[in-house]
Amino acid sequence: MFEAQEITAEHKDLIHDVAYDFYGQRMATCSSDQYVKVWDQNSDGKWSLTSSWKAHSGSVWKVTWAHPEFGQVLATCSFDRTAAVWEEIVGETPGPGERGTRHWVRRTNLVDSRTSVTDVKFGPRTQGLQLATCSAEGIIRIYEAPDVMNLSQWTLQYEVQCKLPCSCLSWNPSLSKMHPLMLAVGSDDPNPANGVKVFIYVYSESSRRWTKIDAITNITDPVYDISFSPNLGRSFHVLAVATKDVKIVNLTHVYDNPNLQNVITKLDAQTVAQFDDHDSTVWRVCWNVTGTILASSGDDGCVRMFKMNYINSWKPIAVLRGDGSQVPNEGHRSSVSSTLGSSVQTASQTARYIKLGAISQPRDVPWH
Amino acid sequence: MATFHVVQEGPVNALALNRDNTQVAIGGRNVFKVYTIEEDKFREVCNLRASKHLNLSFSCNDVSWSWTDDHYLATAATNGHVCVWNLTKMGKAMQEQDYQEHKRTVNKVNFHASEPNRLISGSQDGTMRYFDIRAKNAVAIFYSNTESVRDVQFSPHNPYTFAAVSENGSVQLWDVRRPDRYQQQFAAHSGPIFACDWHPESTWLATASRDKTIKVWDLTSKLTLEYTIHTIASIGHIKWRPQRRYHIASCALVVDCSINIWDVRRPYIPFAAFNEHKDIPSGVAWKEDPHTFLSSGRDCTLYQHSFNFASRPASKANPQGVSLNNKGEVLYAHKVNVNNAIVKAAVGIIRKTSTTQSPDQFHLASSLMHQFTESPRGEQSESEIFLGLANNYVLSGRSLSEMCEHNSAVAKQYGKDQVAVVWKIIKTMYGEEYLQNSTSTNREDVVSHNNLPLNNIMGGIEHTNENDQRSRGGDTPVAQFSDETENEDQVDHIAIYSNGFPTYLNFRTGLPKGDFSFGENEIDMEFDTMITDFQSGYRNYVTPQQDFVLPNEAFHLRHEIRNRTPPPDKFPNSNFPVMNDDSQTIPLEEQPQTLLTVSCLPKMPLYDSSSIVLDALKHHAILGDVQTAACVLIVLGDQRKTLNELDESTQEHWLLGYIELLSRYQLWNIATQIIKLSWIPSVEQLNQQSTRFNTNCSKCSKALQRIGWLCDRCHSSQYALCSVCHQVVKGLYAWCQGCSHGGHLAHMRQWFAINKMCPTGCRHLCEYK
Repeated sequence: MFEAQEITAEHKDLIHDVAYDFYGQRMATCSSDQYVKVWDQNSDGKWSLTSSWKAHSGSVWKVTWAHPEFGQVLATCSFDRTAAVWEEIVGETPGPGERGTRHWVRRTNLVDSRTSVTDVKFGPRTQGLQLATCSAEGIIRIYEAPDVMNLSQWTLQYEVQCKLPCSCLSWNPSLSKMHPLMLAVGSDDPNPANGVKVFIYVYSESSRRWTKIDAITNITDPVYDISFSPNLGRSFHVLAVATKDVKIVNLTHVYDNPNLQNVITKLDAQTVAQFDDHDSTVWRVCWNVTGTILASSGDDGCVRMFKMNYINSWKPIAVLRGDGSQVPNEGHRSSVSSTLGSSVQTASQTARYIKLGAISQPRDVPWH
Repeated sequence: MATFHVVQEGPVNALALNRDNTQVAIGGRNVFKVYTIEEDKFREVCNLRASKHLNLSFSCNDVSWSWTDDHYLATAATNGHVCVWNLTKMGKAMQEQDYQEHKRTVNKVNFHASEPNRLISGSQDGTMRYFDIRAKNAVAIFYSNTESVRDVQFSPHNPYTFAAVSENGSVQLWDVRRPDRYQQQFAAHSGPIFACDWHPESTWLATASRDKTIKVWDLTSKLTLEYTIHTIASIGHIKWRPQRRYHIASCALVVDCSINIWDVRRPYIPFAAFNEHKDIPSGVAWKEDPHTFLSSGRDCTLYQHSFNFASRPASKANPQGVSLNNKGEVLYAHKVNVNNAIVKAAVGIIRKTSTTQSPDQFHLASSLMHQFTESPRGEQSESEIFLGLANNYVLSGRSLSEMCEHNSAVAKQYGKDQVAVVWKIIKTMYGEEYLQNSTSTNREDVVSHNNLPLNNIMGGIEHTNENDQRSRGGDTPVAQFSDETENEDQVDHIAIYSNGFPTYLNFRTGLPKGDFSFGENEIDMEFDTMITDFQSGYRNYVTPQQDFVLPNEAFHLRHEIRNRTPPPDKFPNSNFPVMNDDSQTIPLEEQPQTLLTVSCLPKMPLYDSSSIVLDALKHHAILGDVQTAACVLIVLGDQRKTLNELDESTQEHWLLGYIELLSRYQLWNIATQIIKLSWIPSVEQLNQQSTRFNTNCSKCSKALQRIGWLCDRCHSSQYALCSVCHQVVKGLYAWCQGCSHGGHLAHMRQWFAINKMCPTGCRHLCEYK
């Protein structure tokens, strides 16, 4: 069973993304109100806001952390057609009793896109500082900071044209040298006639190019989120796709030429699981750090968690209701909200502990 | 209602609808036309640029259509002319008036909404002029005292009031009857204001500026800023949407080619967007109907848009965010479904939630964020199990059987029964007992023979083992007093005494290829010290062994360095005399004995368990339990070479995966241990990355060239002393990278527990972290 702790973010508009850092001790949120906020967890598990700043002149769609070996670095992307890289610096002159003021400075603003930048992600740590962005005009851009100590210099390394507007992207985080750099990109184009909505791009070291690999052919519904599972020891890749349902696809390398093992031209895709438990649009898919548990969230207002069991089949293991508190005593809640006028902004509550409602679906077995 | 357009020969700067919205006039540098708006197309009525003798050397900046008389049009030109056109006439006579009063570009011209024949113009020269189209000259001139007037608009509520905005960011309100002085002036923006628009019903005035904001001002008795909309680009035009109190349309001046409709109450994301234009749009005109409007653009087009075809950026926006961390916590931010809450509260009915909100709830968007934490239920979470296993596994320093046995117990303790079984299997397959049995019995006899006394000593302690039924012979005792596996023991002795028989060795240990691997031995030595503090529950060390440990400790540092030198000469010979002291005659005895075993080896084929073990490891790796896979590989030591099908890149992958996980949990010591235990060069090298430190003399700041703290310039090392106790620092030296002062780690800790400043008094605020 999970305990819910409400965090009052005080964003003035929708929150579009939340991200834990590498160690899970900090988090960043971004919102349409053009602000990015960074939170730190104190020793008793409470989150406190440590920084908040106006990052863009449009909705901030995504926020993502770089690996901490590069410092405290965030990247954001926005409706204002830019992506930005931020670094936290500790002020030189701390106030009395303070350890130094911390604030985030914009190290670079990537302005190449002519439309909304819909996603931004740092590449695998072993590649140094790489950043991929994708945009509504359907262009994937890969930037690199040649000097990891200088975050203000980024060069646009590759521009990959994707025929459809892109909504999300994911790097393959595999640590294996057997696996080439790989990107998955999803499109939220609503027209099924426009074909496949998931694209896999593979970087070839020899030709120094990103090439599209036609692997996934069966996803023609709009894709809202895509995420490679952390690959700590698998020979194949696991890709989660948020579309009208949750799909889990295994991608296995097919070597045409056994002599050229590093040159892959084919991936064998196999949809190993498909969950329509949300029964509505699925907005997010997210893996735990070991790649064993997939969490998805959808318009039903729930986070659903899935886990692979010992016979390699995926099963739902938990359902977390975002507003779980309201389900058991609906009448009470609504009377409160009508008197308050707004059920949402009860500012006095900074944190509440909510025992979640009972799990209603028979197949939802509790975790463990 | 459909979306349709016509293409012009040049960019269109402005458009104006006639009173009953049936016709539209467009003006540009090379364009000046009137179209009739039909059901699904524009039909050209007249082209005022077509007649040749009208040599208009100026371009239209703005067009206005009279509200009172459908025949009159006014244009504002870049050369300062304001022209009035009578559409009932033909040819040259159409140009009824040509006021050449403004000295610079005229930015805006507007007919009065109720007064016939009256119009006003605003110009770059900073003046506004009020014209009666029957008169040859302006009837009133208003001096704004600003550089330039960008927009001028009559109030729909008061026939005498008009608003003017200028490039210095100020808004002026004028009374047409009082040309001497404005009624009111206020600074509205930090940059030039390009447009303003009166709200058709409220007393609101919207202003748009280069500072990327649209501001809505309430102009009742006390001026208040009601709303601020943040846009992605400078805004050139704004227009309130009819019959929708909070909606306003905007066109950017640069960058953004779409026409955005905003709900002023939700100032961050457009309510609707129209992306038909390929270049920036230059004007918007509503057809007195909230669902259709016309727009002109720099891309030489005139469009009619229908709201049915609007794109809704907010509905595309991802309303949810999820993140998981290594502690198993789930962070979930989601849109509050206002729709539902309100409906339920008011009517008490349950309605299915929908993604597309009704327009009147558009502005109520907000998110809730929750963190879900696994509540303790007696069971441990995955991350706790991982941490427990990582902390308690023993990966080196003992015999394979012991490590497997121990790790199996640890896994069981943390409820990982399957992993415990894997460890047991590894023990069975690769433990000393099994190898012992599968190889020569001759040797066993001899060894046991030799070790009988020790065996007796140890016997009582060992017998909890489930493998007791196996012939223990000399096995465990040997392992004990040398603290090494029996198997490796042999390798070592052979390596020392019988280098001439490598092939024999290969047979003996079941290795496929003929290379001596000394890794295990070294590792054992390095980690002896580490392992001593491990409290084994079922095994006691005998005194001779502790004697044995101490000398190793003395060599500890040296071996670390040796570890990085090429393999052949790193064999830790120095260790063996010590061992041999303990085990006296064994090597001498063993050599001839083992030589004898050659002949009988072929009779004892090893059971090839590699594929099963490999499958098990791969299975765990697939399940995300790379911890097991990596740890088993490490514990297997040289035996891992029997896993023929496991290529090095997979091994590397597992090790790297485990190291990555460990670093996520900030278990640096264990990660370092893994790196040191690694046999793969690329993993071993991880410890050697970014290890260079530059040190400066803390007195003169000159870079220290030598090893140690002696400064070449100051010729002293006194500043390398601890700044707290003023003693020479041996061991860990902690220093501030800001002021170069430092000292004993413990002293510095003590000092900075209380103080913030550097202990030397250099007044530097040191930041130790």
